[in-house]
Amino acid sequence: MEDRIIKFISALRGGGVRVSLAESADAFNAVHHLGITDREAFRLSLRATLVKDARDLPAFDELFPLFFDANGAPPLMDLAHDLTPEEAAMLAQALKQFSDRLRSLLERLIRGESLSQEEIDQLGQMVGLNRANDLRQREWMARRMGQALGFREVQDALRQLMELLDQLGMSKRRLEQLRQILQANQQALQKQLRQQAGQRIAENLSQQRPDDGIEGLLDRPFNALSEQDMDRLRKEIRRLAAVLRSRIALRQKRAKSGQLDAKATIRANLKHGSVPIEIKHRDHRLKPRLVVICDISTSMRPCSELMLSLVFGLQDQISKTQAFAFIDRLEYITPDFVGRDANGAVAQVLQRMPSGYYNTDLGYSLENFTHDYLDTVDRRTILIVVGDARNNYNNPRLDLFDDLARRSRRTIWLNPEPPMLWGTGDSDMLKYAPMCGVVLQVSTLGELAAAVDRLLVQQ
Amino acid sequence: MTSDRSFASPVDLKAALGEQQYIASDEIATILYLSQQLGKPLLTEGPAGVGKTELAKAIAGATGRELIRLQCYEGLDETKALYEWEYAKQILYTQLLRDKLQETLAGTSGLAAAADRLAAEEDVFFSMRFLLQRPLLKSILSEQPTVLLIDEIDRADAEFEAFLLEVLSDFQVSVPELGTLVARHRPLVVLTSNNTRELSEALKRRCLYLFIDYPTADQELAVVRLKVPELAPRLARQAVELVQRLRDMDLRKSPSISETLDWARALVTLNAHNLDQQTLQTTLSVLLKHESDLQRVRAEMQRPADRPLRDEGDSARYRRLN
Repeated sequence: MEDRIIKFISALRGGGVRVSLAESADAFNAVHHLGITDREAFRLSLRATLVKDARDLPAFDELFPLFFDANGAPPLMDLAHDLTPEEAAMLAQALKQFSDRLRSLLERLIRGESLSQEEIDQLGQMVGLNRANDLRQREWMARRMGQALGFREVQDALRQLMELLDQLGMSKRRLEQLRQILQANQQALQKQLRQQAGQRIAENLSQQRPDDGIEGLLDRPFNALSEQDMDRLRKEIRRLAAVLRSRIALRQKRAKSGQLDAKATIRANLKHGSVPIEIKHRDHRLKPRLVVICDISTSMRPCSELMLSLVFGLQDQISKTQAFAFIDRLEYITPDFVGRDANGAVAQVLQRMPSGYYNTDLGYSLENFTHDYLDTVDRRTILIVVGDARNNYNNPRLDLFDDLARRSRRTIWLNPEPPMLWGTGDSDMLKYAPMCGVVLQVSTLGELAAAVDRLLVQQ
Repeated sequence: MTSDRSFASPVDLKAALGEQQYIASDEIATILYLSQQLGKPLLTEGPAGVGKTELAKAIAGATGRELIRLQCYEGLDETKALYEWEYAKQILYTQLLRDKLQETLAGTSGLAAAADRLAAEEDVFFSMRFLLQRPLLKSILSEQPTVLLIDEIDRADAEFEAFLLEVLSDFQVSVPELGTLVARHRPLVVLTSNNTRELSEALKRRCLYLFIDYPTADQELAVVRLKVPELAPRLARQAVELVQRLRDMDLRKSPSISETLDWARALVTLNAHNLDQQTLQTTLSVLLKHESDLQRVRAEMQRPADRPLRDEGDSARYRRLN
């Protein structure tokens, strides 16, 4: 049992849940107290000690039954005993019509035999189950194993079989019964495959080293990230935000400009015989206000999404964030982040604003911004633009940008392109650059985190 | 009431919570039991108003321990959470005891001797008498075991969280003037969070985690029947069903159990016999606290009955934005 729990914990880690050594020790302690006889109590002892985040609960709920529920093959019904000799003869004759492979599969369904471990392993190898390490692949893998077994053809074959038997003179009632049993058997087999696929993936997860190569991913350019890499970075970014947040919190200067703190003043001046010489104020923190304008055209999407995730992960160190996205026009996207992560929010924004080819237009988007949302920028606001400044030769509207830059406290441009490409082709970066306080190249998540860290330092 | 009752099993604990008018699910009872057995703080998370704070009160009642509550807010610091010297009292005492001081110092030969004698007495001024105990210290120093409720920890700053970690890990506090104060009994600690921000990994690691979600219809009905027994059973069921449906809608603030209870009490007070349009229109504001939510729900209510109440989700949100 202990081995099983340890394996389960590694699978959780493989599935992206962060479980520390102390927590797994707690889990064993808890199990020691409540025992393993009551399944529900056992589940809760593991859950309360291992999972500390509501977002990780689904992963737990999915993995738990794979490790701790009895996984016997679902029962299949045996038809062969049930048949009268004439019926068996009819069936044997009808079966002759099919190819060897189909016939053996149909016979298996009729006899109600479940798959042996060997057969399952073979099927798994055919569809690449050994490399699967994400539970989301489970259904797909099970389906592919079913296909490899020949389930797709079985439906047709069953219909044919029924017709043949009908011609051979089997009674309608009996036929219907037969069909139902065969179908139930097929479903049971599919269920067995699904179960086995899930178990195999869980095993793979538990053997996978957690976090391998995440450091490398931090330094990989955005345009070289695969969708899988992005998935891992999305998980990583929460942790990164937490680290940044505590760093910022510790570093943020406490501005001494709040209300008079009478108590602290009296206390500080006791040494002067209660003559108020040193005046104390309540701490009052200056948190920056951000306006983020992101280019979410195809090339910029990973960068913008991660930037937005980071910024929204840092909410308690920022007094207010207004987020805007643009491709050919501007959209106000702050409401999309309510109760969603950045990935979901960006996907939702993209539904409203389908991206086409070569239609990025920052100039027009700036016009939108000035027209509708100018009030979000004031002298306390840091304006951040995330984009490559490739404007498709549209009017860059430098006048509007200059105006915005003057209104804001600081203007920061984050560009994933290296400086040597600025100004080439349709890039207007060099035209915008003089108006920005600083232009940073952010082509990797590591650079992005460093940039966010820098921009939240009080100046 | 027995002092500091402990429980033999989760079932036992559940029954004891039931006596305190708190209907705990098996999940809540089991995890709470574990937290007591392992001596680990319990971190409860979930939407506002599902009874997280109530749980701490119930466990205090069930164990017969005193409940000490620390409400967190932005800017909460050690002087508010742990202890503070009572300067005003110290000064007052010094003034009043001036004669006595002079008496004590009388007959000393020089300044050095006077200072020595005063130094021998200075403990008087830095003793427990002048220490203003804030919730954390109070729970540590208490003669009787206590339940310490740290409410809405997500509202406190990150630094306070770090400080709290230190206290929660060994339950001792060092006061420079007095030395280290060690807890006589380990308090039962319950932390609540509304998840407005991510808590630090270190804090989560030290706690057991309990996520309390909105209750199922049956659980909620049981709570309503228990807390508002005056409400007619049929009406209670209708009310709970309506609330459950409201939670499926896309509202700014979904009604929580506490709001269901308020509403149930309102229905009793108004002597309502059934949930007709008139009653709904007048009492809905007890359930929904945002004007925009109210308007949406009213609009939905006036639709013909065959149209589903369920929200169309995203498309509705687009319309509002555009």
